[in-house]
Amino acid sequence: MKLTVISILVGVVLIGGAILFTRGNINTNVGVDNVSVVNGKQIIGIRAKGGYQPRKSVAQAGLPTVLRFDTNGTFDCSSSVRIPSLGISKILPQSGETDIDLGLLQVGTLQGMCGMGMYRFELEFKS
Amino acid sequence: MQKTYTFHVDGMHCQSCVLMTESELKKVLGISYVKASLNHLNVEVTGDFGDKEPKHIARDLSEILKPHGYTVSVEKNWPARRSFSEGGSDFKIAIPIALAFVVLFIVLQKVGLVNLVNTGGVSYGTAFAIGIIASLSTCMAVVGGLLLSMSATFAREGDKVKPQLLFHVGRVVSFFVLGGVIGAIGSAFTLNVGATFALSLVIGLVMLILGINLLDTFHWAKRLQPSMPRFFSRHALGISKFNHTLTPLFVGIATFFLPCGFTQSMQLYTLTTGNFLEGGLVMLVFALGTLPVLALISFSSFSVQNRSKAGVFFKTAGLIVIMFALFNLINSLVVIGLIPPIFNF
Repeated sequence: MKLTVISILVGVVLIGGAILFTRGNINTNVGVDNVSVVNGKQIIGIRAKGGYQPRKSVAQAGLPTVLRFDTNGTFDCSSSVRIPSLGISKILPQSGETDIDLGLLQVGTLQGMCGMGMYRFELEFKS
Repeated sequence: MQKTYTFHVDGMHCQSCVLMTESELKKVLGISYVKASLNHLNVEVTGDFGDKEPKHIARDLSEILKPHGYTVSVEKNWPARRSFSEGGSDFKIAIPIALAFVVLFIVLQKVGLVNLVNTGGVSYGTAFAIGIIASLSTCMAVVGGLLLSMSATFAREGDKVKPQLLFHVGRVVSFFVLGGVIGAIGSAFTLNVGATFALSLVIGLVMLILGINLLDTFHWAKRLQPSMPRFFSRHALGISKFNHTLTPLFVGIATFFLPCGFTQSMQLYTLTTGNFLEGGLVMLVFALGTLPVLALISFSSFSVQNRSKAGVFFKTAGLIVIMFALFNLINSLVVIGLIPPIFNF
């Protein structure tokens, strides 16, 4: 039984370490000028390649919003976009711009990630 | 005179070992009945052994089973002896190796290998390069982890070469054929979110169970091992042949549908080729790009020659497989939206 306990402990430590190591602070990567309003439509621009840039975008709630993904030679996981709470699942082309219509959004935060879950982005909607 | 003895068997770890033990002992002159049990790790034999002592009989039976890696004894010296002394020292080596492997894996993700691809278009050269990068990316957690768990499990049953070859043949051929089909019909067969989730969940759980089994520490997990029912395997020429031929082939083909960003975007590109040959070749070259790293993973079990090192290898493989399995399970829960994102590469 001693070994069983030890191996479980080691497993927990390893997983915990991996989470801490990869977690990072999402708030250090907030988009400054990636949100623009054109003709009453809010456009959030995100670059998708080896992760999402910026990782956190702050936008306005209550405006029709479009999420615009910019890809350039993107073959990794970030080309497969997921926003579970809105039921969005889209595979982006390797290069180009892809618009995803989000519609009208209420105040709150949306979590997005790639199809395997290890790259993420956050959209915060303020009033 | 017919007598019945119960002996402990060291080295039995699967249903096919039980069948192997039974079929080998049945051939022994004088033995009329053999019943091996995986749960109790023992074998019950009935037969005429003359006036040999039980100790003597155990030694004779051990001689017969030795080539298969099992030892028969009167006293129960397993798992207590192995897990605590021998098994413990295996862990002392296995844990640092597994740890180093995981750190290497995370570092590979952090350095941004994916940014090496700069072209918009895809030539066969870039498809190959993307394959190499894919095999070092988080796709390794899925495809590599699955492959490692499978090849180590087969290797422990003594079947090293064939399952591995079949896996790679299944993978490369199916990438060519399915890529060709995508190119020809012009629509990708990516699974929807629900099906992907179900597939990842099943694979994650299978990997977890295989990984725990490889550690050889938790004996209750053996009962969970997905194996052919004994009835079937007994009829398939004694030893479960089905497991060793078709399973790796199917797993190889299934990797086409596994959630891996690179595979998915290559499939999307294949769509645009518009014909069978070109589409098939792009996916084939991509699969060939992933081959060196995957081959390295699967044939690592070749290095296992003597039993003392085998323990270290299987425990290391087990730890890595368990970590990849948990990584995959957590990620699939994230993608379906059940838990907030945890990893952030």
